[in-house]
Amino acid sequence: MDTVMQPDVLVIDDLQKHFGGLEIMRGVDLTIKQGERHALVGPNGAGKSTLFNLISGEHRPSGGRIYLRGQRISGLKPEQISRRGLTRSFQITNVFSRMSAFENIRIGVMARHGIRFNLYRRIKPMRAINDEAHALLQQVRLDHRADNLASDLTYSEQRALEIGMTLATGAEVILLDEPTAGMSRDETAYMVELIRQVTEGKTLMMVEHDMSVVFGLCDRISVLVYGRILATGTPEEIRSNQEVQSAYLGEEEEH
Amino acid sequence: MRYALIAILALLALLIIAPPLLGTGWQYALINALIAALFAAAFNLLVGQGGMLSFGHAAYFGVGAFTVIHLMQSVEYGDIPFPTVLLPLAGAAVSLLCGALAGFFATMRSGVYFALVTLALAELLHSLAPHWDEMFGGEAGLSSMRMPSLGFTFGSTLEVYYLTLSWVVICIGLLYAYTRTPFGRLTLALRDNEQRIRFMGFNAHGTKIVVFAISAMFSGVAGSLMAISNETANYSVFSTQVSALVVLHTFVGGSTIFFGPIVGACVLSLFTFVVSGVTHSWMLYQGIIFVLVMLFAPKGIGGVIQAHIEQRHALPWKRLAAPYALATLAGLMVACATVFVVQSLEIVLSREYAAAVARTGEYAPYTVFAREWQVFHPFTWLFPVLLLVPGLYLLRRAFARIQTLWDKDDDDDGDIAAAPRELMEGGH
Repeated sequence: MDTVMQPDVLVIDDLQKHFGGLEIMRGVDLTIKQGERHALVGPNGAGKSTLFNLISGEHRPSGGRIYLRGQRISGLKPEQISRRGLTRSFQITNVFSRMSAFENIRIGVMARHGIRFNLYRRIKPMRAINDEAHALLQQVRLDHRADNLASDLTYSEQRALEIGMTLATGAEVILLDEPTAGMSRDETAYMVELIRQVTEGKTLMMVEHDMSVVFGLCDRISVLVYGRILATGTPEEIRSNQEVQSAYLGEEEEH
Repeated sequence: MRYALIAILALLALLIIAPPLLGTGWQYALINALIAALFAAAFNLLVGQGGMLSFGHAAYFGVGAFTVIHLMQSVEYGDIPFPTVLLPLAGAAVSLLCGALAGFFATMRSGVYFALVTLALAELLHSLAPHWDEMFGGEAGLSSMRMPSLGFTFGSTLEVYYLTLSWVVICIGLLYAYTRTPFGRLTLALRDNEQRIRFMGFNAHGTKIVVFAISAMFSGVAGSLMAISNETANYSVFSTQVSALVVLHTFVGGSTIFFGPIVGACVLSLFTFVVSGVTHSWMLYQGIIFVLVMLFAPKGIGGVIQAHIEQRHALPWKRLAAPYALATLAGLMVACATVFVVQSLEIVLSREYAAAVARTGEYAPYTVFAREWQVFHPFTWLFPVLLLVPGLYLLRRAFARIQTLWDKDDDDDGDIAAAPRELMEGGH
């Protein structure tokens, strides 16, 4: 894997989080390399979503540090982290439901161009912004749905929109939280292909339960069990790892 | 779009041409309706577009009013030369500042907590004002005089009307332009999903403060116009009634549509003007209207109009004409029955009537709908029933028919028919 030679984009160092007396993160060390697609797997309650919330700034860590391209981001607010080039999608569909698909994306494009408090120009003639939003909509294959309200899109279309919104902010590091959850086999295959295409040249970290998605899409996998990284490696390494087998994968097959 | 522009221009022409032909009573009523319309539009920026329901917007309305009264006094005593026509600018500036400050704290929370903080801030002013003579003139309030400016004396109600109209049209125009800017779009995104805009790199708290402050600023203009029109202001402008009235106007008009609250404010203000001159029960009628709109047309009057405009090509107007006419007739029957009962009770249960009965020992006939009625005559009580029962039955039939016709031509987009469906649930 040539990704091994790439510089580190995201470094997580001894990350801890406890809610009251409950320890959720018990010292996570993890390094994500430039351009890789990294999956985070683990049993329910392992802390995958918490880890995403800590990286993206939803929660503050109780201990440890997170660096994005060498700059410390732990303790920053979500919008500050987003402006430094790391954006996430959500496990539950999280779009602007009463706005059109096109406008959902355009809000992201506005963020990328730093248009935050512009009250003195009309948005309609802003060519660059509108063109870019249209191009992104096309990229996530929703151009035929441009004028439909986000709430009127199908579930899988909403998930695609979600990814489009994440891309629109121009983030180099993208965190996807279960992008194929609740999808049929066909929809999942479609989504995997879409993710592969649109994250080309970017760094991707995703939480995923579907092992076929993980093995098919990702370069490296980390297994999170009870707030610790049990193992990190290529899909082959993880598949053959005894500890992982007993802790997680084996457990899955019994069901 | 072209029709909308024509309609607006026609309405504007009417608002310019008609008032000189009306009496001062109506001119004054129109001034109040225009002020209520601007206040509702400003309020709806916060509620409908920003998704933040405030129960204390009287605070910013009142701040605008008192700012202008103070300034008018200074002009009157010759301390500062300030043209009367530009007075609302001062109200806008002070309300903007107060809105930014209050918004900073209020928008730290959302939902019920936000509503309670805004309510508390307004109540704070309301209870403080009567005890602070220099600032708010105590319980009596402050008064001043409009000074001539730019060749206008502002002595007549008509001149004040045109001043109000100009400011209201400009401000509503600016509020509409706001929705077309990038920040206007961000405001809608904020309403839909605050968490998401944070993760997209926007400062949600900062965005909310700006929305709040701008809403307060335009509310301040409305308050300023009120002060100019009345030449006085007292602590009651901060009262909960003022805050509640703008909520009522906004939701009866429909908060999801830009022009909804403006329509709601105009309709209800003029309704109040007309009905309060006739009966003491006008608040009851206003309440009935509010409840009916919330139950059967939650998107408000504006929502119903919008649904019709959006579906204008798909609707079978010719076949709808008969059930619409029937619904109107049946609605009138029900309304007549309701008004008859309310007015009869108002008269019969009044103190004067009781005194007359005690004095003469007999129940005198009373007048409603230009006819005399005997309290104990069976027809008096049969009459509303004869109107109400067939009225409700016909209303139900008409709405069932309208529902069918709407559904039939509801081809691909299921969402559009939502408003009329809600409107018609009363018929089932």
